[in-house]
Amino acid sequence: MSEFALEIKALSHVFGKFRVLDNINLQVLPGQIVAVVGPSGCGKSTLLKAILGTDPPTQGDIFTDGVPVRGPTRNVGIVYQNYTLYDFLSAEHNVSFGLKLDETSFWMRFFGLPAYMAKRRQHLQKSRNFLEQVGLSDACGKYPREMSGGMKQRVAVAQAFIMRPKIVLLDEPFGALDEAMREDLQLMLLRFYQENLIAKREGRRPEYTILMVTHELNEAIYVADRVIGLSRFHTHGGQGAAIVYDRPCPVFHPDDPRDFSKFVEQREELRKAVFDEKYVKDRDKYVTFWNELGALAAQK
Amino acid sequence: MIRLAIPLWLFWLLAIGGVVTLLGSYERISARQTRINELQTTIPSFEKIGEGLKQIFRPQGLPENPKPPMFWVDMRATLWRLAVGMGVGVAASVFVGVLMGAYRWIEAPLSPIVMFLSKIPPTAMMPIYFALVGTDQKMFTSMVALGIFFSMTQSIYKAVRQDVSDEAINKAYTLGASEIEIIYEVIWKQILPKIIDNVRLQIGPAMVFLLAAEMVVGSAGLGYQIRMQSRILNMSVVYVYLATLAFIGLVAEWALVTLRRKLCPWYVD
Repeated sequence: MSEFALEIKALSHVFGKFRVLDNINLQVLPGQIVAVVGPSGCGKSTLLKAILGTDPPTQGDIFTDGVPVRGPTRNVGIVYQNYTLYDFLSAEHNVSFGLKLDETSFWMRFFGLPAYMAKRRQHLQKSRNFLEQVGLSDACGKYPREMSGGMKQRVAVAQAFIMRPKIVLLDEPFGALDEAMREDLQLMLLRFYQENLIAKREGRRPEYTILMVTHELNEAIYVADRVIGLSRFHTHGGQGAAIVYDRPCPVFHPDDPRDFSKFVEQREELRKAVFDEKYVKDRDKYVTFWNELGALAAQK
Repeated sequence: MIRLAIPLWLFWLLAIGGVVTLLGSYERISARQTRINELQTTIPSFEKIGEGLKQIFRPQGLPENPKPPMFWVDMRATLWRLAVGMGVGVAASVFVGVLMGAYRWIEAPLSPIVMFLSKIPPTAMMPIYFALVGTDQKMFTSMVALGIFFSMTQSIYKAVRQDVSDEAINKAYTLGASEIEIIYEVIWKQILPKIIDNVRLQIGPAMVFLLAAEMVVGSAGLGYQIRMQSRILNMSVVYVYLATLAFIGLVAEWALVTLRRKLCPWYVD
């Protein structure tokens, strides 16, 4: 087991002659919720696909829990913006689908029926418990076509998290939802973070490590405990997008009232560092996460 | 106005009225033809059609050695050939179509061949079947199987490419699926309604190929009997057989729609 849930070393990606990503280095600790922001087309999706393993980078290495990423595996979960639930499965079967694939073999399903059925009963019970956690206990038997966008997204989140992957990637997970639904799902992520804190206090490895791509700066700072900005607006921008912002951000409790005024300063700093094309600076100017973490640990 | 709603009672009244008008018009034309020529059999009256119905259900052969009525002999022959031919054709096209849709390296060499051969009318290929397979039972079943194989393979491989997104497949990998599991648990289950719909659409063409073959080289079967009875202008039997073909089509349609509803309750047409 590695110290880091995710480690990216010297990652670069080129499309033809166009260099999209340049020398990305990133370490994510277990239990962190990392938000990734950046201008449209800067390479956030490219980075996500590289971590997922579907589009390997042209240079560099990626490790999840110390294991090199060679293709999509169960070490990395994914929640897409358009949910991508399986139409032919109900909510509880969608959520337990991974357990079926992971814990039963193809041959067991045809030739070991009693053992398979017993396993499936356990899976479905686990799935129902998870759906209850995300507020969907009444929707277990519904098919995706019978669900709203918010319901589908919660099922997609449950489907990914029930597998306990080393890290879950959220690709603009709330982009297609209305404001009320977004808030509900943001609170769900904050509740996961609280469970991480409990796990750390009890000496266990936190279960929910998340890397979330979002366009919403408020959402990034509110939900995450660390924000990363990807951008070409730095002194070597012609060589591709780099991490130009990497800082911790305040942790909110799901029961606290939503008050975005608490992080106005950081939001403005983030906007300037990542989105302001006129502000060309050294790429490492705002990459201070590890220094700040070290300083915080020293204070304690 | 286009799509103007009408009351249900009016819809049924017009539907029944349409059928009654058609049958009434037929009876009038038949009566007129009979007045011109009393012995005409090309447009038999409903009474004559009734006699044709009795004829096809009458046991054949001598009383001491009766043989089954010709209707059952012909039905058994045609339905058996159709079932076997479609079974083989559907199984082969699903196997090849799914693999073509799943693997680009299989799609690349096969898609030009499948596309080209799907454009050749299967009835035009009959001389090829005679030469390769002979004129016995194998010829009929291979005619049906190959007749539907190419177009159905194309439809299935397109369904795999269009109805199963890359994201759904990548997600399955992240949930721990192996390749064979992705093919069975994701691709097959996602496209199953399309497969059933394709089978439904292929029954008509399959019947065309089979009846054409039976008319040319058959010694039993609905197509053979239609040809034989037409030659002696015994149209009262021919019309009963044509109605039987329509009935087979309707039953098959209903059966496949019911099957799709049972196996794919999640699917909305």
